[in-house]
Amino acid sequence: MDPLLTLKDIVFRRGDFTLQIDRLELQPGQVYLLQGPNGSGKTTLLQLLALLLTPASGEVCYAGAPVTASRERQRLRQQVTLVEQSPFLFSTSVYRNLAFGLRLRDVRGDAQRRRIAQVLKAVGLDGFECRQANALSGGEIRRVALARALALHPRMLLLDEPTAGLDREVLPIFEQCLAALPAQGTTVVIAGHDADQHRRLGGTALHLERGRLAPTIPGVVPRQDVCA
Amino acid sequence: MEAVWNSMNFLAESLAAAAALIMALDPEVVHAVRTSLFTTAIAIILAAGIGIPVGTLLGLGRFAGRRAALTLLNTLMALPTVVVGLVVYGLLSRQGPLGAWGLLFTPAAMIIGQTILAAPIVANYTVAAVAGADPRIMTTALTLGAGRLRGAGQLLMEVRFGVMAAIVAGFGRVIAEVGVAMMLGGNIRNYTRTMTTAIALETSKGEFAFGLALGLVLLTVALIVNLFLNLLQQK
Repeated sequence: MDPLLTLKDIVFRRGDFTLQIDRLELQPGQVYLLQGPNGSGKTTLLQLLALLLTPASGEVCYAGAPVTASRERQRLRQQVTLVEQSPFLFSTSVYRNLAFGLRLRDVRGDAQRRRIAQVLKAVGLDGFECRQANALSGGEIRRVALARALALHPRMLLLDEPTAGLDREVLPIFEQCLAALPAQGTTVVIAGHDADQHRRLGGTALHLERGRLAPTIPGVVPRQDVCA
Repeated sequence: MEAVWNSMNFLAESLAAAAALIMALDPEVVHAVRTSLFTTAIAIILAAGIGIPVGTLLGLGRFAGRRAALTLLNTLMALPTVVVGLVVYGLLSRQGPLGAWGLLFTPAAMIIGQTILAAPIVANYTVAAVAGADPRIMTTALTLGAGRLRGAGQLLMEVRFGVMAAIVAGFGRVIAEVGVAMMLGGNIRNYTRTMTTAIALETSKGEFAFGLALGLVLLTVALIVNLFLNLLQQK
């Protein structure tokens, strides 16, 4: 099967920091756990995968085809969604936050309402549609941001430290949502430090060290059932 | 003491006469108010149409010449109204390159001048609002699948109060100016006479009450615009 996204000989520079990826292939429907110390380049790599950054050199291929033109990047960004470490919600209602990306994909009317209700329920925020984003707690903001990404049915979901600072009670809800994605064909890349979470979610571990990927850790971390 | 009393009396009588002129909806007062509001409204719409995109581009963009463009914009903000009047007069006068359009001493000429005055103000305030916005707004819009243009639109939505302040500042500059309206409009009675040009003219003729009436209306308009902005910000 063709990889969903491939990075080849990528070099990206920002100030003194250089991210250098010789080769990285992300397969459809797989979970990848991106680990590494602070400053190792996890967020930069996620932004590259989200097609938000353009590398100084190298090639990014999506479903086997090189991505070069900015119009093409924009089109593909509709299939790849990033939830940032400190997600931003637009200063409007939760519903409008979720509807933003759906409108761009021409999902409107009843289909839009159904999908929003469905993802809000999945993240445990049933009935939050009319709440104002600026009145939400930190944990609720993270869950709305995840719901906003899930609503788009992305082919690849990138999560930057998604559970940092979340309450223990909320964690299983979060992980249940993520655990269901590979079966739907979604590739999930999670950056974080939580080794226990990585064990629970399973997947291939990717280790970044000073902007370089360590050789892939052999074998796949077995997933413990988080839905039990 | 008597001199002070007399001057107080003069002010009180003028104020009463001004109030009477307003209450009676004096046609000349009404026309000057209408001309002021009409030309200012059109000029502000045009200035917003130019200033908001330019301000957004300069606030968001990182390109060569950006710093020079910002310096130019700051300089344009401090343009004396008579200089704008002079330049546009030169363009629109019969011998000027746009003389054939026959716009001099018409409301259209005033609108052109007032747009030139207000656009740099709107652009500068927009730059400040956009540059000071949370950088995650644009990234979030892009990660949700928006293009740069749609992302910029969302960013403007997020900083809408800053943008509204830009428009109000431009409005304030235009409605209160005299130079452009006088030089390009010609202060023609019941045609291009605005509140400010009428105040200048009537006061010089000794019609203090008339000038005061227009001054009161001008203040009221400024107050209403600012109240409206405050109301929006509280929402």
